[in-house]
Amino acid sequence: MSRLAYFVRETLISLRRNLLMTIAGIITVAISLFLFGGILLVSATVDHGTQQWKHGIELEIFMKTDATPKAVADIEAELKADTQVKSYTHLTKADAYAIFKKDFKDQPALVESTKPSDLPESFRVAPLKAELTAPLALKYKGQLNVDTVITAAQQIKRLLTATRWIRLAFISMASVLLASSLFLIVNTIRLATFARRREIEVMKLVGASNWFVRVPFMAEGLVQGAIGAGFAFGLVWTLKIIIANLLSNQHTLLSTFRVTSADAFGIGILVLIIGAAIGVIGSIVGLRRFLEA
Amino acid sequence: MIRFEDVSKTYKGDVTALKDLSLEILKGEFVFLVGPSGSGKSTFLKLLLRDEVATQGRVLVAGRDIGRLGGWKVPQLRRNIGCVFQDFKLLTNKTVYENVAFALEVIGRPKHIVRTQVPQILDLVGLTKKADNFPTELSGGEQQRVSIARAFVNRPLILLADEPTGNLDPATTVGIMRLLDRINRTGTTVVMATHDQRIVDAMRRRVIELDRGALMRDQVRGVYGVGS
Repeated sequence: MSRLAYFVRETLISLRRNLLMTIAGIITVAISLFLFGGILLVSATVDHGTQQWKHGIELEIFMKTDATPKAVADIEAELKADTQVKSYTHLTKADAYAIFKKDFKDQPALVESTKPSDLPESFRVAPLKAELTAPLALKYKGQLNVDTVITAAQQIKRLLTATRWIRLAFISMASVLLASSLFLIVNTIRLATFARRREIEVMKLVGASNWFVRVPFMAEGLVQGAIGAGFAFGLVWTLKIIIANLLSNQHTLLSTFRVTSADAFGIGILVLIIGAAIGVIGSIVGLRRFLEA
Repeated sequence: MIRFEDVSKTYKGDVTALKDLSLEILKGEFVFLVGPSGSGKSTFLKLLLRDEVATQGRVLVAGRDIGRLGGWKVPQLRRNIGCVFQDFKLLTNKTVYENVAFALEVIGRPKHIVRTQVPQILDLVGLTKKADNFPTELSGGEQQRVSIARAFVNRPLILLADEPTGNLDPATTVGIMRLLDRINRTGTTVVMATHDQRIVDAMRRRVIELDRGALMRDQVRGVYGVGS
């Protein structure tokens, strides 16, 4: 018990003595782990979205804006008769305008200058089987009065490519920052051992065990890593709330994207473990010179 | 208690510090280690503390070859060997009491032991009244007493002293020697490296003289130099 009190006291003294370095270490741990946790969270959100797509793949057939009602009805009839189509929904010019208004609500001038008649009617189609998406797209693309066909796969693929790159960029950035936070913790611990070199000398002289000498410094590294990770946890949680808010206002393609508290919590725990590990590894490296002596 | 068997120590760059040294120091002996600078006195003490390991031969403490001791067992060895230095090595941010208590705390002794042992040892070295002073508020002799108290508070089998009176005036030196003598009378083996001719001559204890790493003289009731 007195030993625990000793460790706590020594750790706190040392943290306070190197306050600036300690804070620098905590901040870099927090930022790097937030980047890391943040991109994991975004990835998880996208994963949820793509999982939805696997079950009910959609393609959207856009008519030409000047297509006559008769032409639209023809396509609709064809869809109805198509054995490869499970179901479809018809979006009128009014529906398209509603979506348009929502998508561009931060650009009122554009919305103002656009009339419903400027927008194309469209059909959202769920094929019988996912494999039929491509042939269906091909089939309707060639039709008279059809402007274009967008498949969910195309949009999702583009999104996935984008997130893959973003993920790569973020994880590289996070790695660089994690390395620098490790370096900062190593440095803090070195400074701490230097500041207390006389104490360490006496401890070794009177026969304190190596672990006894080491524990306060390792605790110091651990505290830095864990506090930094704690901040990162909070930031990841905030990000989760922001994403959830953004998604709740969307009724477009992104409507299948979800972010759950379980995701954020799991990532938070991972971040905490990494933070603590960085702290301990940093102090072990920082203590290496002392251990050799 | 201490046995050197054909011990040689060579440092990097072919500097020979000790050469085929063999000797034995019994439990309860008081031994002066003399010789000019560079004669190997410090290396002798470092080998005993296992700060250094012999290049050849064996160093035995209480029957154990300490050269073969695993690194994690070194602390155990050092708990049995108290150590006093010329520069005291006291912690200036701790009081006299805390400096002595520190030696017990860091080897994990429980609080009640610390509370009883520290006042006892401070009484032995005559510093009970200065327990709450900081080292910088003490004279050199008093500081060395604190350092002796710290070295002895764990009741080691052996007390090593490296020029303990090197920084002290003659009058203070006498007091320190009396204290070391008292500790020796409790059965503790004392090995003291020194340049101080007067104390060696006055104490008339065993003298081991080293010269360029070799044993020059081992005399039971010796003086500092032959012919002095």
